[in-house]
Amino acid sequence: MKGNDKAVVKELFISGWLRNNISTIIPVIAVVVIIGIFQIINPVFLKYQGIITLVYAMSYFLIAACGLTFVILMGSFDFSVVSVLKLSSLLCVLYVDRIGLMVIPLALLVSVGFGFINGILFAKLKVPSFMATLGVSIVVEGIGLYLSKGFLHIVTNQTFKALTVTFIAGLPSIFYWAIGVCIICTLIALITPFGRRIYAIGGNPIGAVLSGINLDRYRIYVFMLSGFLAGLAGILHISQQGGGSIEMAADMSIPLFASVVAGGTALSGGVGGPHRTLLGVIIITWIQAGMLMLGYDRGIQMVVFGAIAIVMGIATIDRRRIKFVK
Amino acid sequence: MVMAMNDTIMEIRGVSKTFDRVVHALDNVSISISKNEILGVVGENGAGKSTLMKILVGVYSPDSGEWYYKGERIPFPKNPKEAAKRGISIVYQEKGVIPSLKVYQFLFLGNEDKYVKLSKLNIDKLKKHAREILEEFHVKCNIENFMYELPLSTQKMVEIARAILSVRLEHEVDDVTSVIILDEPTAPLTIEERKDLFNELLHMKKNASFIFVSHIIPEVMEFTDRIHVLRDGKMIAHYDLSKERVTEEGLFKAIVGKESVEIISKPEITEALSEDVVLKVKNLTKKGSYYDISFELCKGECIGIFGPTGSGKSEIVNTIAGLLNFDEGALIVKGKEVKPNERPHVRLAKGIGYFSGETGKELFLNWSIAKNISIVNIRKVLRKFIPVFNFSAEKKMAERIVKQLSIKTPSVNAECYALSGGSKQKVSVGKWFERSPVILMLEDPTIGIDVGARNDIYDSTIEMKNRGIAMILISDDPKEYSLLCDKILFIKHGRIQKVINNEKFKQEMFE
Amino acid sequence: MKNLNRKTSIPSIIMQAIKIYPVIFVLIAFVVIFSSLYPQRFLTLLNLTAIIRQFVSLMLFAAGPSIVVVTGSLDLSYVGIWMLGGILVWLLQPFLGMYSILVIPILGLVTGFLIGIIHAKAKMPSFILTLSLLVIYSGLTATIAGGIPRTVKGYDFITADLIRGVPTPFLWAIPIIIAAIYIVKRTRMGIYLYSIGSNEEGAKLAGINVDRYKILAFTISGLFSGIGSVIIFQHHGGSVPVALNLNTVVYPLVAIVLGGTLLIGGSGGPHRTILGALTFTVLIRGLNISFLDPTMIQLIVGLLLIASIIASSRGVRGVTVT
Repeated sequence: MKGNDKAVVKELFISGWLRNNISTIIPVIAVVVIIGIFQIINPVFLKYQGIITLVYAMSYFLIAACGLTFVILMGSFDFSVVSVLKLSSLLCVLYVDRIGLMVIPLALLVSVGFGFINGILFAKLKVPSFMATLGVSIVVEGIGLYLSKGFLHIVTNQTFKALTVTFIAGLPSIFYWAIGVCIICTLIALITPFGRRIYAIGGNPIGAVLSGINLDRYRIYVFMLSGFLAGLAGILHISQQGGGSIEMAADMSIPLFASVVAGGTALSGGVGGPHRTLLGVIIITWIQAGMLMLGYDRGIQMVVFGAIAIVMGIATIDRRRIKFVK
Repeated sequence: MVMAMNDTIMEIRGVSKTFDRVVHALDNVSISISKNEILGVVGENGAGKSTLMKILVGVYSPDSGEWYYKGERIPFPKNPKEAAKRGISIVYQEKGVIPSLKVYQFLFLGNEDKYVKLSKLNIDKLKKHAREILEEFHVKCNIENFMYELPLSTQKMVEIARAILSVRLEHEVDDVTSVIILDEPTAPLTIEERKDLFNELLHMKKNASFIFVSHIIPEVMEFTDRIHVLRDGKMIAHYDLSKERVTEEGLFKAIVGKESVEIISKPEITEALSEDVVLKVKNLTKKGSYYDISFELCKGECIGIFGPTGSGKSEIVNTIAGLLNFDEGALIVKGKEVKPNERPHVRLAKGIGYFSGETGKELFLNWSIAKNISIVNIRKVLRKFIPVFNFSAEKKMAERIVKQLSIKTPSVNAECYALSGGSKQKVSVGKWFERSPVILMLEDPTIGIDVGARNDIYDSTIEMKNRGIAMILISDDPKEYSLLCDKILFIKHGRIQKVINNEKFKQEMFE
Repeated sequence: MKNLNRKTSIPSIIMQAIKIYPVIFVLIAFVVIFSSLYPQRFLTLLNLTAIIRQFVSLMLFAAGPSIVVVTGSLDLSYVGIWMLGGILVWLLQPFLGMYSILVIPILGLVTGFLIGIIHAKAKMPSFILTLSLLVIYSGLTATIAGGIPRTVKGYDFITADLIRGVPTPFLWAIPIIIAAIYIVKRTRMGIYLYSIGSNEEGAKLAGINVDRYKILAFTISGLFSGIGSVIIFQHHGGSVPVALNLNTVVYPLVAIVLGGTLLIGGSGGPHRTILGALTFTVLIRGLNISFLDPTMIQLIVGLLLIASIIASSRGVRGVTVT
């Protein structure tokens, strides 16, 4: 019996290792394949100009996705990321001419504020996270609509723009922002107690409670973090874009979500991380760029992203743990 | 060993079941049940009672075994409905009730076939029969009540009525050969309600047989005709109360396994280290669970709270750990009073840890051993100047624990999913061992694991005790109490009956 | 034990109704507020007709999901079925003639079934699953339509006036609503759905094939959304939108929550959604007539959604909310 035990344990150990690493291997393979396909289709693309376009698309997206990653790691969902992002952009555009760079703390404060509201609704008032964030997202959009009145706005403040379009070593500064944020988020997730506790809550909420983690407080923190990063993404996005109008939230929410699960962060929580999301964001934005290049319209893009969201969502769920799903 | 009587309704032979390829839940078990009898199946938690019952009603399928119905061999049922067709149904210990259903809806749940025509439910007929059933079984409630509105005992009665009904509705032959399994039915009931329940059962015995699963010895002795005893997945004893004289102590010893008491070797336990009182419990009361609980716990002392399921022992421990509130009384930890509705993380910060043998609850199964140990010992594995994890320190700590507790694993980075039940338990114990809280609650620490792992855990627990950690133990295994506890509180119906020391406890239990 | 004797005087009937359906109070409040603020615009036949039309649009989308929500899951695919269904009719009309309208209910059925299988077997949470599917469908719609809203002619008869003063879509909606209520209240399946929502583990222990009923619930929901889409489709003059309007997705959800159906399942259902839809419609119409900035409407809707969820989540105890 003893020898058998050992063999069994080893087998389970290997299959566990395999399972964990398959979700890392697939995204990496996907990225390599995509780059390869690009080269074949349009070798010119990967030259300088194409890369810059990609960088602009990826950077703010990555920052927002890192925020969403933390929420999903915790086993919850944040539907308000995109709305907060856009409100943050809007606030910058509207007020940068009047108060200059002070829009930045303003936008961040507002974003964190909504994150805080999400957290309170979820942790204290026991509203399921997707509903709470959906409700908040509608409110935020409403505020946005009210403030912008549907007009197009342009940024003229050069200092503000310089935040993101200053070129260093051939790449726009927004790139460094994004990479920096991603690295910091990854470090937070992997080597800080704060991050470890987030994984714990997502992995086993009861176990987390019994291990001394203050569930409510952390949940609020994580939603505030997600809000903060969404706000930051919005600021940088509008700084780089220079102007724009409001789109509908659903348009960007699914690609954002898809990039998180495509990277290997599981919907069920407790697995993955911002480093994984980097891969996911690369996959999604490159697919988007590729489809644009090949002439596929927005519709097909949405189909692809929705499909990725479902497929990767299913693939990453840890079915061992989930007893009842609603 | 199995008494095959002439009016044997059904018999199962040689049933074995393993989970996870490593744990034997059932090993070559055989039982039989006859007409008009109440069969008791007793054993500790983890002995295999629940698995056996689930096999009988088709929730699990056995790895091996045969089923005989009135002498004829038939396959095991694949689902509860098939089981009902053979006349067997079960009333679960918990989670069997659907709170938002009305009584008449719940009564017929799963068995509405005769009331359905082309998808339409004949609700009037349903309600009429519901009223009749409630009358027949003397259940005091209205068919229009929601299940969540009823007191627990009434819910239990409705569940029993439902089980009998399901057999009546599905079973093609007559009533007399129905078998209803009652899994620990008396836990939520008061004394009067228990009496009522048993009277009803004796009444209903004329029309059905019951399998009474329990570990409340006095009840089993009084109300069953025969008793099967399960231990560690094996059927180790059988008593026919009409033919033999059985004493409570005799039954108790059979359940517990007197022989194994001596085998367990242990390091010397030092007496409770000091007069240093770390926990004072004063008149602690939680309405509906426990009343007027008072005791003191000193450094290095281990107190056991001993009593049957539903006696309140689990609620007391959960309250101290911060998982439940209390209504009256005081909890004083290291001289400072604590508030009733603090949550576990606050209690932990104050020095109270809680360990449950149900490892699914407490461990992060998709994490490595190292991470599971470090999550309650974060301060010890951080780097000196920046608050980030020192992975090599984490690894070393885990390796130390693995060695201490002899955990069978290829590496400390192995996912806990891959470990055997005993090893998982050891990881849980190990993390508390490292944490060394002031007070540690232990609830069913060695449930369902093999003897070797148990001994290792006992060794570590005793060492924690010698280090000065104060402990409160709750378990169903009197051996554990005798091994680890300095004092034992006997509790029944939420009140302390008596407090005795280890020596006297050993005398009472094992002689 | 509750005393179930009912008093029969009118005020006490109303009080009891409010106790069981608290949203009635809100409905009455709204009616009173808007009637007194804008009597000329609110209390007109035109407004009443508009209310009925809007109510119907809402209910036709909310009926199916009201069944699913009883099990504790959510179905947000209805707008997708409407959009993709509509464009498929446009696409297939040259080949199938009048019969192409049947594509919509069939699409709904198939969609619901697909969602049910993925949700039950692959264990993907319903919210994100149906949302992703919705996005896929809207993307397909935009692609097939070539980015331009298309119109389909020839189905006027569906919404032609039958009874004077009563919008025909309302007449069509009645059997759908009745069917939905019938399913949850009068069939065995209904009891099973409530069981799954109230205590899924207990339902499984009782021998209920939980997967099967979850799949059934989603399939029926898709079918109802499909049928509802046929009516709404013509209601909008046979035109198919190509842009996804989040409001159309969220409004039925608000109706469900406002009606008092708990999102964790086990209670509520289409009968409650009727009240929720009515109340919400009154609110929207009232806000439209009012002199409030139109952009404020969205804000108010969001706040209402949050408020009603908080109100209904209060009754939830001891559940691990994710």
